[in-house]
Amino acid sequence: MSTKSPFDPYDSFKKYSEIWEKQINDFIFLLSNNNEFVKMSKVGTDSHSRYVEKIKKNQEALAGVLNIPTKNDLANVTSLTIQTEEKIDSLEEQIWGLQDSVNSQSKEIESVVEVSKEIIKLTKQLKTELVKTKKELADTKTLQSELQEIKFELNKLTILKEDIEILKSHVKNDHQKEPVRTGAGSTI
Amino acid sequence: MAADTLFKDLFPPLELDYEKEMNRWKHLFQVLNEPEPKIGHTPRTEVWRKNKSILWHYPAKQKKYDIPLFFVYSLFNKPYILDIAPKASVIEGLTNRGYDVYLLDWGTPGYEDKNIGLDTYIEKYLRTAVKRAIRHSETDEITIVGYCLGGTIASIYASIAEEPIKNLIVATVPIDFTEYVGPDKWAEGFRNGDINVDRLIDVYGNVPSTYVEAMFRAVSAPIYFSNYTTLLNRAHDARYVDKWRRMNKWTTDQVPFAGEAFRQLANDLFKENKLVKGKLMIGNKHADLKNIKSNLFVISSTNDNLVLEPQSLPIMDLVSSEDKTYKLVEAGHVSLAITGLFAIVVDEWASIRSNPL
Repeated sequence: MSTKSPFDPYDSFKKYSEIWEKQINDFIFLLSNNNEFVKMSKVGTDSHSRYVEKIKKNQEALAGVLNIPTKNDLANVTSLTIQTEEKIDSLEEQIWGLQDSVNSQSKEIESVVEVSKEIIKLTKQLKTELVKTKKELADTKTLQSELQEIKFELNKLTILKEDIEILKSHVKNDHQKEPVRTGAGSTI
Repeated sequence: MAADTLFKDLFPPLELDYEKEMNRWKHLFQVLNEPEPKIGHTPRTEVWRKNKSILWHYPAKQKKYDIPLFFVYSLFNKPYILDIAPKASVIEGLTNRGYDVYLLDWGTPGYEDKNIGLDTYIEKYLRTAVKRAIRHSETDEITIVGYCLGGTIASIYASIAEEPIKNLIVATVPIDFTEYVGPDKWAEGFRNGDINVDRLIDVYGNVPSTYVEAMFRAVSAPIYFSNYTTLLNRAHDARYVDKWRRMNKWTTDQVPFAGEAFRQLANDLFKENKLVKGKLMIGNKHADLKNIKSNLFVISSTNDNLVLEPQSLPIMDLVSSEDKTYKLVEAGHVSLAITGLFAIVVDEWASIRSNPL
């Protein structure tokens, strides 16, 4: 029994086409890879360039007579458009620069505002503290005057006490003198 | 009996699956008759526009990294290869992985853009776009990702950049132009002045897109039809046909190359190899790769038929970066992007270097 796969004409055609293609290209390579071919191609491109040059010159001359724009005229106009585009681009970049500096300044201002807010908050706190302290001071003063009064009263009491002490001592002295007077009376 | 077996071995039976054949021809007619597929499906918004260039923003599905990725694509092709199809899109892969992605689409230069040189592209387009992306993403740093010639442009930019580039990723990037895939006599003729593009650029202004396509064909495969025979062979597979159509649209959708930029690319980079020699000037700045200090990731493909590995490798020794990684992946020059593999490779390296949130 044959082990070969069914014949596919397309596959064979493909394989043969690749071989033919390679052989033709190798042949062209051998034919063209020499100095003579290179020099011949130079003659070819030079003469081709000369003819295209002549056609262009005639075209320019004719367009000048007919007063119609040529490709060169359009190219010049287009270069103006490109210049304008470049100027707009550069302006846009300058605007970016300005935007960036404005943004950085805004950030700085925002940070200053934040600091100011903190300061205002702190000032308000200080003010409240001050009011409290003032009130406390007034209370303290009242307390002080009351203390002064108490002190005065205490002084007065001390003086009274001293007076009482003096009186007491006087009374004592009086009591000590009285029995002598009684004894003298009995001896009489 | 033996003769019968031999006959069967030599000529296996032709067994046609009629459903498969119907599908094959139906899809082929669709390729011929239907309009081209719509490409670019990942949601995006325009951030900035200048001349024909647009800076696109692809927001992350769920942002996981602080540092966004900024893609710089080649000037030769359109960048939609990075968002070619759902599930195979590099950009979709990265946004799904949590990256904010920016893409600078250079646009299609017209005749009026013939004087745009590499220095203009880098200083007036790429630099401004990077600034815009940084501002738009509200981050302090950015990762630049350059693909193919976009990698060369990204490297040149990184060497003169004042913007905070944290990471530089370059894939399939030509840095050293002494190596080249095309015929060596052409390169020799170009370097000794036998081939001169200056005059051709002067008369055309820009290098027309057909010439760009022809140039790539000439250095890789001047005759190319195997893509059509491959399509014929696999046309029964709707998914393959869809992928083929997208790829074909991109391959044939070349853009003209701004004249002055092509002149600089041809003379300063290809002919004189100034980038490797450290002699390239961008405006009045010295674009020396040793000025690059960002983390560097270089990716090369094993099957690249346009940019050879030795063209990318020298950047590893030319930069001053302390953190630098080189990776060789199993892919081709374009397949690295169209398979979505690039997103996986980038994510593996960038995830720990993009400030995870």
